[in-house]
Amino acid sequence: MGSSILISGWRRLHIVAIAVLPALVIMPLSPPALAKDSGAAAEATGEDEFSRQLRELKKTFGDIGKQIEDTTKTLDTLKAPEQARKGLEDLREHVSKLLGAVADNGDVSRLGISALNHANEKLKALERDTRFKPEQKQILVAGWRDLKAATERAIGELDSARKEFVDLLRTLQTSEDYIDELLQIRQHEKALEVIQQLTEHIRQASKKLNELLGAKPPGA
Amino acid sequence: MALPAGRLASVCGLVLTLPGCNYGDTGYIEIKTTSAAAPPALYLDSDKLAQVRGGVSVLRERVGERKLQADLESGKVPLCTIVVKKNRITTVTISQLDRSPRCNCVRDGTPADKPSERTCIS
Repeated sequence: MGSSILISGWRRLHIVAIAVLPALVIMPLSPPALAKDSGAAAEATGEDEFSRQLRELKKTFGDIGKQIEDTTKTLDTLKAPEQARKGLEDLREHVSKLLGAVADNGDVSRLGISALNHANEKLKALERDTRFKPEQKQILVAGWRDLKAATERAIGELDSARKEFVDLLRTLQTSEDYIDELLQIRQHEKALEVIQQLTEHIRQASKKLNELLGAKPPGA
Repeated sequence: MALPAGRLASVCGLVLTLPGCNYGDTGYIEIKTTSAAAPPALYLDSDKLAQVRGGVSVLRERVGERKLQADLESGKVPLCTIVVKKNRITTVTISQLDRSPRCNCVRDGTPADKPSERTCIS
C-alpha cells in the first residue's frame, strides 16, 4: 500500500520534472536584432549559450522524468518496506540529477549570471554611446531591458527549482535514514507509515513547484 | 568557484588512475549565510567560492571531504570539514559572531577525540 502511494507521488514529480522549465526555454533570450546588425553578434554568445543550455536542461529533465517513470513501474510490484526503501534510494538518485542540473556551480546557473551581467553592461554602455539617434537608442535600450528582465525571470525560476529539489533531496535522505533506523528495530508498519507521509510531502512539493514555475505539463 | 563535476570529468579523463577521480559519484553542499554583514570570501579546499546569492548556495561536489575556509585579514582560517556523500546534501550555516565566522552543522559529525575539528555530515 505504501509503495503504491509512493508511486503516485513520484508520477506527479515526473510530470513536474518534464514541465519544470518550458517557460525558460521559450523566453526571448536572443538579443535584439538591431544589436546584432550593429556588429554586436559576437557579444551575444553568452545569451545564446544560456538559451541553448536551458533547452538542454529541458531535455535532461525529460530524460530523468522517463527514468523516474521506469523506477515507479518497478516499484508498482513492491510491497515490503525494505524494497520500498531501495526504491527511495533510486529516486534520490533521480532528484540528485535534477538538482545537479540547476546547482549554483553548474553551467546553466553560471551562464545565467554571466548573461545578466552582460545585459547590465550593455545598458550602461548604451547610456554613454553617442553614435545612435535618440529613437534608435531607445529601441536598443528597450530590447536589452526586455532581455535583462527575461534573464532575471529565468534565473529566479532556476533558484525556485533549486530550492524545491534541495528540499526534496533533504526530505528523501532524512526519511531514508529514519526508515533505516525503524527497520533496525523491526518497526515495519511504522516504516510504511513514514513512506506514506513522505509521498504526501512530495505531492505538496510538486504542486508548489508547479505553481512557482507557472508551467503546465505537456498536453495539459 | 569550486571545480564543477563537468570540469572534473575533463581533468580526470586525462589521469584515470588518480585516486578520487570517481567523478561519477557526486553529492551536494548547501552553504547558508546568516549575517547581515557581507560574509568573508569562502574557499572549498583551494577553490574560491562565488558570492553566495540570497544567502544560500548549492554546490555539486565529488564525494569525499572538503575543507571550508574563510579569507580573513589574518589570512585563510579553517572553518570546518564538510563530508560529501553520494546523492546526499550536507548543509552548513556560516554564522558571524564578533566578526569571527563559524560553521553550524545541521548534522554534526565532529570526532569525539578531536572536538576542535568541526565536521559536518549529511
